Amino acid sequence: MAVTLTPAGSTARRPRPARDRHHRGVSRWVVLALVTLGALVMLVPFAFMLLNAFKSPGDYSTGGPLSWPSEFYTKGLRTYWSEVDFPLKLWNSTLIAGSVAVLGVVVSLLNAYALGIGRVRGRLWIVGLFLLANMLPQEALIYPLYDAAKQVGLYNTRLAVIIIFTVIQSAFGTYLLASVLSTFPRSLLEAAALDGASRWTVLWRVVFPNLRPTLAVLLIFFFIWTWNEFLIPLVMLIDNSTQTIPVALASLQGDRLMDAPTTNAGSLISLVPAILFFLIFQRTLARGITAGAEK
Amino acid sequence: MGRIRRLVAAVALAATATTTIAACGGDEGGDGSDAKTLKLWHYESANSAMGVAWDRAIQIFKDEHPGVEVQFERKAFEQIQQNAGMIINSSEGPDIMEYNKGNATAGLLSSQGLLTDLTDEAEKRGWGDKLSPSLQTTARYDDKGVMGSGNWYGVPNYGEFVMVYYNKDLFDKYGVTVPTTLDEMTRAMDTFVGKGVTPLAEAGAEYPAGQLFYQLALSKADRAFVDDYQLYKNPVDFKADPLKYGAETFADWVRKGYVAKDAASLKAEDMGTAFISGKAPMIVSGSWWYGRFKDEIRFNWDSFLFPGNKLHAGSSGNLWVVPANSKAKSLAYDFIDITLRPEVQALIGNNGGVPVAADASQISDPKDKKLIENFNTVSQQDGLAFYPDWPVPGYYDVLVSGFQGLINGSRTPDQVLDAIAKPYADGVKEITGK
Amino acid sequence: MALPETVAGPRRPATPPETAVTRRPRRRGGRAGYWLYLLPGAVLFVLVIGAPLMGTVYFSLTKWSGVGDPTFIGLDNYRHLLEDEVFWTSFRNTLAMIVAMVVVPTLVGLVLAAVLFDVVGRRFRPRTAAALRAAFYLPQVLPVVVAGIVWGWILRPDGAFNGLLDAVGLGALRHDWLGDPKTALPSVMAVMIWVQIGYPVVVFMAALQRVDPELYEAAEVDGAGWFHRFRAITLAQIRPETFVVALTCTIAALKVFGPVFALTRGGPENATNVPSYFAYYTFFKKLQVGYGSAISTVLTLIIIVVAVVFIWMQNRSERQDRGV
Repeated sequence: MAVTLTPAGSTARRPRPARDRHHRGVSRWVVLALVTLGALVMLVPFAFMLLNAFKSPGDYSTGGPLSWPSEFYTKGLRTYWSEVDFPLKLWNSTLIAGSVAVLGVVVSLLNAYALGIGRVRGRLWIVGLFLLANMLPQEALIYPLYDAAKQVGLYNTRLAVIIIFTVIQSAFGTYLLASVLSTFPRSLLEAAALDGASRWTVLWRVVFPNLRPTLAVLLIFFFIWTWNEFLIPLVMLIDNSTQTIPVALASLQGDRLMDAPTTNAGSLISLVPAILFFLIFQRTLARGITAGAEK
Repeated sequence: MGRIRRLVAAVALAATATTTIAACGGDEGGDGSDAKTLKLWHYESANSAMGVAWDRAIQIFKDEHPGVEVQFERKAFEQIQQNAGMIINSSEGPDIMEYNKGNATAGLLSSQGLLTDLTDEAEKRGWGDKLSPSLQTTARYDDKGVMGSGNWYGVPNYGEFVMVYYNKDLFDKYGVTVPTTLDEMTRAMDTFVGKGVTPLAEAGAEYPAGQLFYQLALSKADRAFVDDYQLYKNPVDFKADPLKYGAETFADWVRKGYVAKDAASLKAEDMGTAFISGKAPMIVSGSWWYGRFKDEIRFNWDSFLFPGNKLHAGSSGNLWVVPANSKAKSLAYDFIDITLRPEVQALIGNNGGVPVAADASQISDPKDKKLIENFNTVSQQDGLAFYPDWPVPGYYDVLVSGFQGLINGSRTPDQVLDAIAKPYADGVKEITGK
Repeated sequence: MALPETVAGPRRPATPPETAVTRRPRRRGGRAGYWLYLLPGAVLFVLVIGAPLMGTVYFSLTKWSGVGDPTFIGLDNYRHLLEDEVFWTSFRNTLAMIVAMVVVPTLVGLVLAAVLFDVVGRRFRPRTAAALRAAFYLPQVLPVVVAGIVWGWILRPDGAFNGLLDAVGLGALRHDWLGDPKTALPSVMAVMIWVQIGYPVVVFMAALQRVDPELYEAAEVDGAGWFHRFRAITLAQIRPETFVVALTCTIAALKVFGPVFALTRGGPENATNVPSYFAYYTFFKKLQVGYGSAISTVLTLIIIVVAVVFIWMQNRSERQDRGV
């Protein structure tokens, strides 16, 4: 994420006084070292995953998870890949997480527009009410949602899962965006209103462009949070053709036996799209900020 | 190409199929004898004994029902376990599926009318002859959902039981012979402890600890006890033998170092890999490991029945059930019938599983043969005692919690027995008072 | 109430908070038009949350195994809940979860974000800061079940952590981290910190974007040290985000389920049992949907109360800030 150093439309930064750099010379390296050490510690479990993802089951059982594999074993992963039709599951997960991300952002934006800028009455309570969607433990929702979905004929469809998560994620989005929009510069809105712009135009021409960085953050969060969801897809998606990756990974764990190396390999692969998404939108975040600054 | 030949073959097969179906009396009011698809689900992995055998069964079924499409989906166990009720109660469920045996699963669903009554089919097709009475216990449930009597609601293809796996090389190294009584086993374990080796790998965080406790208790139990404990025939006193004996002996074994104290947080997988890696001389666990051990173990190993017991933890395997909403019931019955055929049963036996109705001569590997013979011995003598967590829904975690306490020494056997007695009593009251 | 500013709001010209752009609510006619924008959200909410919530409350007054028909039993479930030891233990454990998922990640996240932004981002390349941030955030991307497996490997009696202790000569501290009731909860807490830290770091780093550098420069010219600047400027400027992070982390802590399920299944002996796991277990293992619904309803009520208190405190702090 590029850090913008130029404040809005003002002059370039003055170079730091040389005195500071001498004084702080060593300490900044120490700090960097410490933080890097921390980051490496954070990554240790992933190293374990890598170590065990391409290990044969025999190796894993005999040598344990801490041992180096005797050969680069991909058969387990390849078998699993074709058996479970991993590309299809990948597509399902992407479809669901992507749809939820986009729809969640849209719904949050609409809600927040009314609450933050429109300042409708009782907005504090309304935000709280929406936030309720995030506060409910999911197990509480399962049976009623199952009944409702069955009645509407949406049981065992991806659409049901998309709708459910759009609501849950947009709770957080509404809260966040409403907060941001409540401090939106009135001058811009007044100017637009003077030009005769309707509320709708104001939303998309004035508000939206300024919110891009925040929206980018929401997109990332929503995508990643939905990607890893397990309980509700487990209940709602019965056919193998509609299932997502976490549910597919669960098939590696039987009643009493489990296949740890393949589970690791499968998880590592499932991490890739989520990470890609994060990296892509990280850059939009940065660009969005500098764009806003040069407004 | 052999178009004519294929046509003739198809006609012949169709004729066979039609007569078979007609003979089975597909007249249960439009039960789908003319159905064109069979939606079949199970959750065994493709390289497991059942997976291999059932793939073959599907192939046979397709050959015998040429006009029928088999929609087979392999599921995750967790999904079926958690949501079977929801799935079967909707229109999205399968026509036939694998499901867990026991009161809390098959029993519960059958008592709610969600499973088809298979009694007629079982009689017509002679399934009762292929399965020993011991195995039929888990196939039949009464109107309260309690196993042992009543209608047939499921059909098992395989069995499972708990035994002792041992590392022959380690036994030879320390001069230990295979024990035939519990005393001999204790002495064997003493030998290992004396040499600084923990004799028994255990797993306190999952089912193995509870199964060890149960095996110990069963060494002092009789069939009547099992009926009381599992079928609620009479109340069970947890403060009396055999359960008291089981808990106290378990604690004793921990004290003597037969079971490591830090096994409290280990999962079954950890215990299994400890054995596979050659570190553990013995484990007390079930036949479900057998196929994997065959694949992955590189040293000499074998198994023996828990010494001295007449009763062993074990039961029939998972059941084929036909949901009440099934649109292809007679096709489902045909499939079940195919799975009980000698050819399919032999496949189970030759791939590391325990078939219920196999012809011993068709089993090639002597180790496999021994496994199956051991099971048959137990099954014939009505020695299958099911599993300790079966009686009450959710009892599994209660047992895990209790026996973790015994392994890490934070609770006395008395306290553990108290802790596991109450949920049992509450649960049974729920069920029988229903 | 002016809801707090949060992540990277639009850049305003540098003005100290007191003389902010006028925020007098505009009393225009046609305010009603804004209600239309709430419509899609409201409809979805009622369908997906409102109605099911009512369903759950209804189920909490029944006895039901999940199949067949529920039997109405009134408040019996709640009466039973009050006497249920496990229930109270699970809430006690939640307090530990709050420490591990709110207090530590927020505090450490703040410092870490500031360090990454300030020291690493400014004095080294911004790319470095971004890479380090990604490393801290990565645990959030991992499915919780897999994290459970991997941490199981690390915390096992013969696992990596004990191995490490041996290697550095601290072998005497070897322990069965997840199997001993005394160390199980702290171990789970440590894993939770690992999982949770990335979230505040990302949010705070984005928030720091909008703090005007001129504030820092002015303070530096006045001779303020790094820590002093951190306290006086950074903390004050990003207080809104701090509230958001604290509230959302608290809600997550109250609802936490996945890691407990994956690591310890609530054991040993309920040492790590939490309300959400207890509810899940009651729903799906004990097949007591009524009782499970009662647990969930009480949990929801508690979460609502906590959230209300939070938002109220947030509101008050904002008003104090503006000198109202």
